[in-house]
Amino acid sequence: MVPDGAPLLAAAGLAKGFGSGAGRVDVFRNVSLEVRAGDLLAITGPSGCGKSTLLHLFAGLDTPDAGAVRVDGTDWSSLSPEARAALRGTTIGFVFQFHHLLPELTAEENVALPLFLAGRSEADGRKEAREVLDRVGLSARASALPRTLSGGERQRVAIARAVVRRPRILLCDEPTGSLDAAHAAAVFDLLTTVAKERAGAAIVVTHDPEWARRCASIKSLGGEGLSDGA
Amino acid sequence: MISFFLAKKYLLASRRDAQVGVVALAAFLGLTLGVAALVVSLALLSGFQTNIKSRLLAETPHLLVTPAGRGEFHDVDRIAGKLAAVPGVASVSPVAKGRVWVSLGSQAMPAIVVGREKQKGLVLDVAQARPIGLVAGETVTLVSSRSRLSPLGPVPIVATMKIAGVVPSATGRKAAEASMPLEEARRLFALGPDGATGYELRLTDPGRPDKAAAAVSAALGPSVAVATWEEQNRALVLALRIERTVLFAAVFLIVIVAGLNLAATSAVLAATRAGDAAVLSVLGASPRAVGRVFLAAGAGVGAAGTLGGLALGVGVAVLLERAGLVPLPAQLYGMAHAPFRVEALDVLAVGVLSILWSVLAASIPARTAARLSPVEALRGA
Repeated sequence: MVPDGAPLLAAAGLAKGFGSGAGRVDVFRNVSLEVRAGDLLAITGPSGCGKSTLLHLFAGLDTPDAGAVRVDGTDWSSLSPEARAALRGTTIGFVFQFHHLLPELTAEENVALPLFLAGRSEADGRKEAREVLDRVGLSARASALPRTLSGGERQRVAIARAVVRRPRILLCDEPTGSLDAAHAAAVFDLLTTVAKERAGAAIVVTHDPEWARRCASIKSLGGEGLSDGA
Repeated sequence: MISFFLAKKYLLASRRDAQVGVVALAAFLGLTLGVAALVVSLALLSGFQTNIKSRLLAETPHLLVTPAGRGEFHDVDRIAGKLAAVPGVASVSPVAKGRVWVSLGSQAMPAIVVGREKQKGLVLDVAQARPIGLVAGETVTLVSSRSRLSPLGPVPIVATMKIAGVVPSATGRKAAEASMPLEEARRLFALGPDGATGYELRLTDPGRPDKAAAAVSAALGPSVAVATWEEQNRALVLALRIERTVLFAAVFLIVIVAGLNLAATSAVLAATRAGDAAVLSVLGASPRAVGRVFLAAGAGVGAAGTLGGLALGVGVAVLLERAGLVPLPAQLYGMAHAPFRVEALDVLAVGVLSILWSVLAASIPARTAARLSPVEALRGA
């Protein structure tokens, strides 16, 4: 746990590229960022600028070519794969553009999955999952399989799954990108509300300035790094 | 446990998933049939071997005690009393064994003869009788290898006896033996009225002859040599053991091949669920935990196939035994139908080995799934 006021997430000098030699493409060369408790940050940029890659680095799913990411005071690069997974489970919540719910699991089981992975009993996990599903307005669909849910409902289940363990940082990758405008607005509002209630801070990646403006602060990702504003 | 929870969900869903469903069904059926074949084969072998062993135990003394470094025992040695006092010994019988020439008319042949207390008349092994055409009822002359002193010098001891019977060769015995009354044998081999070339012991628990042999050796010391029924039939007992090992290994090959289908099941599942594996990683599952999901799925099919195979194998073996569905020529085998005997230890060994192999086979693709990059999988999902 970091001291009060210290950043929950601190990225310094991050660089990432793909390929090698003449075919190498640098996605970004120097990203630095600090996210503190209560922050709701939007990162914008055109498609392909590396927003998702940046979130993967923040979540410790990928390793940067240069620089470091510290989450809750711990540098991802100092951890073994097992320790990374443990830290990710306790500190990071992740909402994908496409819900990525497990199709064989009901809405309740999908939401309870992070709790099951943390070793909670099935009864405990299901009880807490139902509470969070209730919070996102889906208590009536708890036993529904993802294929029977609408796009908006699926994304709400995905949000519930991301916050069920009360993560220190909620990372959202184009969370409304697969929804129509009407559903997108409702889901985005729910996301920001739930993030305030159940997460320490949130970073929302979006290519749409409209959604970015709903966040407390905005940064734009370019080849050199992050800059203020949309 | 989450890995079993997810594995169960995946396997239940595989009924609707053609890719995983077909390989999982093939693995399940292959393992079921392989395990069942192994159980039935071992039951058949156990049936035959139990029959052979019971014949050996009936025909062979459980322990044979012979003098070490001299030719015979006498009452003065008090061997019989000491043997009877050894724990586990049910009965002690003196025997007089030696070599004779059996002659009828101008024909003669060497033979081993054993004198026993309750033996009535001379009974020849068919292997002894056949070469010179001896049959029951004929009177033969037995010329001993021992001699007695006469005024003319040493002369062979001779007996004339009527053949009381000719019996089939004993199971597992290397050399054919004829039987005759103990008193007659004592005279033939010049052992005196209380002499014996050895003692035959029956045990209360012939299944553990080594323990009784050790007790006899401890009680009588180095003056006697002790041979268990297994040692007396060493070649046959060894052949039975080898037969069991070879059959187990040969039929287990079916289980090994079926187990490889489990590796395929686990691999197909891991390939089709790479996106799920990535999501699990994002949610905090360690690489090992991700691998365990696919391992549990493969091992689950393996366990189900194994249990199904054990149930099928035991059921078939019991049915074949009770209904006597596999007839045999009784004159040749001494039994009307093939015997099936299900041994609990065999069933346990087959079950444990099959499940272990299933886990091993499923662990290879599971390990590969655990090493998948979640980022790569998410891009492809």
